[in-house]
Amino acid sequence: MYSAQITRANPTCIILLIDQSGSMGDPFSGDSARKKADFVAEVVNHTLHDLVIRCTKTEEVRNYYYVSVIGYGRSVGSCFSGELGGRPIVPIAQVADYPLQVKSSYKRVADGAGGWVEIPVRYPVWIHPAADGKTPMCEALARVQEILRGWLLEHPRGFPPTVLHLTDGESSDGDPNEIGRQIMSVGTDDGAVLLFNCHISTRRSAKIEYPTEETSLPDGFARTLFDISSRLPTNFLAAAAQLGVSALEGSRGFVFNGDPSSIVQFYEIGTSLTGMTPYRWMDDRTETA
Amino acid sequence: MSSAKQSSTWDLQLRQLLLPKLDHKASECEDAIAVDTQTFRFAVADGATESFDARNWAERLAQHWVQRKSTLTVEEFRDWVATEGRELHDSWTGLTLSWYSEEKARYGSFATLVGVELDLNTESPSWQAIALGDACLLHFRNKTLLKSLPLSGSEGFNSGPVLVASDSSLHESSMQSVVTDSGTFQDGDVLLLMSDAASLWCLQRFENGDLDVVEFLNSKSDEELREFFDAERLAGRIRNDDLAIVRIEIKRSKS
Repeated sequence: MYSAQITRANPTCIILLIDQSGSMGDPFSGDSARKKADFVAEVVNHTLHDLVIRCTKTEEVRNYYYVSVIGYGRSVGSCFSGELGGRPIVPIAQVADYPLQVKSSYKRVADGAGGWVEIPVRYPVWIHPAADGKTPMCEALARVQEILRGWLLEHPRGFPPTVLHLTDGESSDGDPNEIGRQIMSVGTDDGAVLLFNCHISTRRSAKIEYPTEETSLPDGFARTLFDISSRLPTNFLAAAAQLGVSALEGSRGFVFNGDPSSIVQFYEIGTSLTGMTPYRWMDDRTETA
Repeated sequence: MSSAKQSSTWDLQLRQLLLPKLDHKASECEDAIAVDTQTFRFAVADGATESFDARNWAERLAQHWVQRKSTLTVEEFRDWVATEGRELHDSWTGLTLSWYSEEKARYGSFATLVGVELDLNTESPSWQAIALGDACLLHFRNKTLLKSLPLSGSEGFNSGPVLVASDSSLHESSMQSVVTDSGTFQDGDVLLLMSDAASLWCLQRFENGDLDVVEFLNSKSDEELREFFDAERLAGRIRNDDLAIVRIEIKRSKS
């Protein structure tokens, strides 16, 4: 299970589900200039960037992934706008070709002689921060379910879809347990849909990352999210280990009271999938200026 | 594809097979085979799928390596790769690239390479080889594996082999993993040069003792081999990767 090769003929689907409720406009981790929504938008843009780069073959982007970015707050819907606006799921080649804007900046890289050199780089932006309204988590999961239903009909044998859900608070439209379980109960010949949840918090409570059992969790909300979080398959555990994250056989794809580094790692682990060569040779020699 | 070449004392039976991944076109194959039957140099290179211009890099490394006269020491190899890499990067100058291609190009190209040179103009023929990564050279005699390099067995394979980078600033650590070796031939010996998926398959079959790979690769037609490898990859018994195989058999000349 979770071993199907991801190819153009057998692509997989990645859904990024983002809480955009009003509380996401609060500062994150004591940094008053940095709202949670700002940080999440930056990480999501970086994640989309990395997915594109993984699929880039010289001058072509191959459609190994189909991507959906769903936000929920004042409304529920795709976070893509511009050319991609209104489309619930987009092939990665079109994600690559239609960012909202491409920013220019500089990056420090090793010069090969023990020093550093600054080189110009371009950063694409697909989504902007948003924080408004309540937390209609059930309606958002229902939208995810709708997208998955269509995907699974057309791709019954591929690597199962992955849903990466990020939230900072409890659902305002009911208990998400049932619909979460429904999402986890469907899948492909290669395994059930993977639903991973990352809860972020401005509280100073200790963060809990990738637990194996719910007894360590502080309240009912945490236990609900634990219940609707899939176990991390072997490939994902290996990715976690590479990042120095402690995850064990039986660990759920679940973070509670996460901080900024938890978010970054959550998306890195959640998109590690299978069959893609890790970009260690890139990571080892670059440093953002 | 089969062919026969001759030195004054020894005959060379040559067999080559190059297959793209399943569901891929031949033009998308990033493995490369190069053969020079005048100098008796042979090479297999495997472009790293996710790197920029991987196919060109693999072809350039294989083809230019067999055209060289030496490049069998680490020092020569390092200088030669640096020159080849500069020329590859120069070929990208002036291209108008999208943001994603530009980012890929910045890190350059990566490949694995194994090359072997035969000395057949003697009563005691021999070979010298150089390799970096997990494209392998296997030397068989009478169904016995005498040597396998740079990896000695199937347990040595993983998803992150050391790679020949086109950017020489990355050579400091990778060049420490270059393997050189040599051996002598007897009548009927067989060398196999293969990219990683084929090498792994071959070593596993040998270790399990369930297939005489040397004979198998000789006995089947090109079409039969293609069908066999397609079926193995479809069944998942061989990873769905490009496959490059060169089989070289040395026989004493009858004339």
